[in-house]
Amino acid sequence: MDFTFAPEYVALRKMLREFAEEEVRPLAKTIDREHRVPHETFKKGAKIGLLGVPFPIEYGGMGAGETGYCIMMEEIGRVCTSTATNIGAHIGIGAMAIYLDGTQAQKDKYLRPLASGEKIAAFALTEPNAGSDAAGIRTRAVREGDSYFIDGSKIYITNGPIADIVSVLAVTDPALGARGGVTSFIVETTWEGFKVGTLENKMGIRGSSTSELIFDNLRVPQENILGQTGLGFVTFMKTLDLGRVSLGAACLGGAQAALEAAMQWAKARNQFGAAIAAKQSIQWMVADIACEIEALRSLVYRTAWMVDSHKPFSREAAMCKLYGSEVASRAINKALQIHGALGFSREHPIERAWRDARIAEIFEGTNEVQRIVIASEMFREIGVRVRP
Amino acid sequence: MKIVVAIKQVLDPRGFTVNRKAEKIFFNREEWITNPADLCALEAALMLKDKLGAEVVVLSGGPARAGDALRDAWARGADRAIHLSDKAFAGADGFVAARILAKAVDKLGNVDLVLCGDKALDTGGGEVGPRLAEALGWPQVLDALDVSVADGRARAIKPNGKGFVALEVGLPALVTVAAGANQPRYPHGGRIMQSYREYQLEAWTAADLGLSEDELEPLMDNRGQSFPPERQRGTVLDSPQELVRLLKRNRII
Repeated sequence: MDFTFAPEYVALRKMLREFAEEEVRPLAKTIDREHRVPHETFKKGAKIGLLGVPFPIEYGGMGAGETGYCIMMEEIGRVCTSTATNIGAHIGIGAMAIYLDGTQAQKDKYLRPLASGEKIAAFALTEPNAGSDAAGIRTRAVREGDSYFIDGSKIYITNGPIADIVSVLAVTDPALGARGGVTSFIVETTWEGFKVGTLENKMGIRGSSTSELIFDNLRVPQENILGQTGLGFVTFMKTLDLGRVSLGAACLGGAQAALEAAMQWAKARNQFGAAIAAKQSIQWMVADIACEIEALRSLVYRTAWMVDSHKPFSREAAMCKLYGSEVASRAINKALQIHGALGFSREHPIERAWRDARIAEIFEGTNEVQRIVIASEMFREIGVRVRP
Repeated sequence: MKIVVAIKQVLDPRGFTVNRKAEKIFFNREEWITNPADLCALEAALMLKDKLGAEVVVLSGGPARAGDALRDAWARGADRAIHLSDKAFAGADGFVAARILAKAVDKLGNVDLVLCGDKALDTGGGEVGPRLAEALGWPQVLDALDVSVADGRARAIKPNGKGFVALEVGLPALVTVAAGANQPRYPHGGRIMQSYREYQLEAWTAADLGLSEDELEPLMDNRGQSFPPERQRGTVLDSPQELVRLLKRNRII
């Protein structure tokens, strides 16, 4: 058993750390305040392969697998949760769906510009009446000759306003519903009938854009069906499974940054004649955060290894998302406490981190859904079906 | 055009602190980075490659870990990376390092331009560049901020105390590049992965370079180390007005 990273991963992390510190960190506060997407980071990132980390080099990616992808998400998550969210939605779910289930022609046409960062992807599942319960999907795709016409709308779509290519889940056979009647489509946002609806005004990750997407008699050619007709749900679930691992990695980065900031402050802040780092109350918080971060790190990178070595990983991926988001929230909350009133100031990055952390317990499947996934996998091992 | 860039690794200064009073160095983490000025020399070479087309060959001595610096240089866009690696090279001073590099440049053949950092972050010697130019018998320009090539000549811009001066030399020539002369590019992540998984580093030994043991005898004798005196505290000014007054009095503005 060897827990060290191969030298290429060490070198990759070094480069990504530098990129994150030099290019991403300086914008973190601004994009939060201005509620805008850092397009300049996409542009610079495209040059180093940032927008295609797990995808093969022949598609313009880095060829760094899930392990490399997690390293990137950790390093970006360490300095800016918004940027990590933008990139995560682009790579981890938007482009990933095409990478996992796309035909060769679809990969050539769509994955290539996505992996190289020329185009941005989004992933559209959630609707007003469907999110965790995908069976409630109302968006309809009706076949006419060799085309489908999509009508309906999606909400809370990360990258919605900036995406060029969107994977969309729609009902093709209402009689079959989620079991064989839902199909996924690759949609170009320049097509007629595609509209960006209301933009969300969010509490956190304000440097990422989230919106409603509206499809009004949107014509999609048959060759843009992603995966098999009627099995769109399978494509989407596979994609979401993978996205959970890297989301855990981004949470790991956020938690680590909070711990480092809290320790620096504990060293600098003097009360009662000594640095507060000397107080046991502070030391206990630091020790507790450090333990959880270490456990999360092991979980994330072991799961990434399972993905890269083609082992089943659904349960562990759900654990990465569930545990990762909760560790990040706890760590950042304690780190803010160590900062005292300073941490409550909008001038301090820990205040932003605190707001940014909350969403990870909700999106990409709520933590309640993650628990269902984990429990059902656990019970399946003893032959019991507990899926809702 | 063939450009050679000589690089070396130094300890990341962010990984240790120097306590002058206790005369001790405290290591928090021992991490090696490419000497910043050498990275600027590499960037200058890659800019020439982008503009005019060139083969960029990177050379480095040092133990096995120098492989990381060489792979990094390849990932940034160099065409070849050669590790000058031999037990007999250990303990080389600036004189010997220049001699080894000169042999490597000879062995490569048809080299038009050698670029290297003006100074290493650790020793601050700045002697390898000039010594290498001497060993090759080539003209040299030191501490350049910008290097361009046209009509078989290299043109370098460097500070001269008051402002800047442009110098031209015939090729082949050696130019040392100052740290901060440019903004080194990031390596592409895909190239980083390939640099370890696919790219084969070349390695040249003393025998490959035809160097005998006598030729590797250092000139310098290391007699120990001492710490420079603690830096005196500067003058603390109370207001910007005072700063302006001081600058005017010293005829700086």
